[in-house]
Amino acid sequence: MNRAALLWRVASFAVAAGFVALWQLIASLKLVSPVFLPGPDRAWAALVRGFSSGDLWSKLAGTLEHMAYGWLAASIAGIAIGAIIGSSRRMRTYVAPSLEFLRPLPVSAIIPVAIAMLGLTQAMALFVIAFGAIWPIMLATIHGFAAVEPRLYEVARSLQMSRLAVIFKIALPSASPDILAGMRLSLTVALILSVVCEILAGLDGLGHWVLLSARAFRSADLFAGVILLGLTGYVTSVAMSLAEHRLLAWQAARR
Amino acid sequence: MASAAKRLEAVYGTATPQIAFDGVTLVLGGKTIIENLSLGVRPGEFLCIVGASGCGKTTALRLAAGLYQPTSGKVNFDGQPMREPRREIAIVFQDYGKALLPWRTAAGNVSLALEAGGMPSAERPARIEELLRTVGLPGHAGKYPSEMSGGMQQRLQIARCLAQEPKTLLMDEPFGALDAMTRQGLQDEVLSLVAASGATVIFVTHDLDEAIYLGDRVIGLLPHPGRIGIELSVNLPRPRDQLSTREHPEFLRLRRQLFDFIKATEQ
Repeated sequence: MNRAALLWRVASFAVAAGFVALWQLIASLKLVSPVFLPGPDRAWAALVRGFSSGDLWSKLAGTLEHMAYGWLAASIAGIAIGAIIGSSRRMRTYVAPSLEFLRPLPVSAIIPVAIAMLGLTQAMALFVIAFGAIWPIMLATIHGFAAVEPRLYEVARSLQMSRLAVIFKIALPSASPDILAGMRLSLTVALILSVVCEILAGLDGLGHWVLLSARAFRSADLFAGVILLGLTGYVTSVAMSLAEHRLLAWQAARR
Repeated sequence: MASAAKRLEAVYGTATPQIAFDGVTLVLGGKTIIENLSLGVRPGEFLCIVGASGCGKTTALRLAAGLYQPTSGKVNFDGQPMREPRREIAIVFQDYGKALLPWRTAAGNVSLALEAGGMPSAERPARIEELLRTVGLPGHAGKYPSEMSGGMQQRLQIARCLAQEPKTLLMDEPFGALDAMTRQGLQDEVLSLVAASGATVIFVTHDLDEAIYLGDRVIGLLPHPGRIGIELSVNLPRPRDQLSTREHPEFLRLRRQLFDFIKATEQ
């Protein structure tokens, strides 16, 4: 890292520290009642307490599980459906209008439907998370498959490659930058919906923890949960970026 | 059919042409691109096709590749009708940037053809190295196409085509996008590669000098619809040489004839 980059990094940490200090100041001066707003000190203490008792671990694990299963299901289904639709112009013409209708539908609107059909269960959560997270992946895959260089298909034809080989050696790698970008967007959607489902269905997870803490006026625990959710979003997105960087090393060479 | 066969026999003796167009007409989108084209390319021949832009020379090449099917007439390969592209026929596209896989290294791009040919993975690295050396890219195996110059990318595409072990090599203005120096170097390399492999070549170009320099025979197409307007046998000694061949009186005579033909078609 060169000096300028280092300086920026230091500055960004300083800004973050400034926000925490401001938060501490507001809490210490009791500008907001301590019942509703704990200081960073109390939130930190609650985090430590939660982890040492093991409570937060299991809640974190619950949320990560919901998120991961929903996101993976959305990824597999989204890539498969997107590939089928994207690789045929006819399919795109036929299916696109229906997709345009379904896509802007707020996922929260289908939660009651899912609850009515599946009850307050893990299956319901999985369905809702996957349904919400599938769109960015599927639409990105459709776009990626539709944008494969036609010349490459001619190369594949002259090599008499099998249909399967064409998909795995040409179409998928060619669409991979789009697909991975879609998967990154879906990661956030999956986290949001995990929390929503936990709150609505009382499923074990950070969403549920946050809800219970708020109801019991345990504001320090509430903030501990929120901080942890923020961290989860941040860490998963950084991990995804690293994976993208690795998988798309050939694109870096392109620039 | 019978008359075309007889005509081809008269021209080439009894040897079956490797690629034979027999009264081929192609209509695309209501427009006749090629009309009643009959043409035989004998095994090992280097045939160049020239013509003004829009005369259907690239289309003729795509018909020979099996990428298009004729509206009427027949395209035969080794006496069998061409129904689809086949591995024995390799195509070098002009736009090498689009015809290479940007996510695969040079070695990976050559490997694609070997994989398609069913070569076991253990045997591939040695063959890849050999092919990259043949086209003058040793030591570039780990580079992505985007890290290579235009000339190198076109060499890489040629290496992938050679990996198909083609009986016929179809080249669609392969050097059109390259600078003059690179082009001359590649012309000579293609000539020696072809001489070594014994492949039949159909080479489309708009560069008349290039056509005469490379070919055993040059065909000039007339546009709207595409049909044969001139056919010249090139009796220049091989191996060809960038200086002496291009100064050869026969070269100059053919060049004159071809230029006059093209000029006439443009009026």
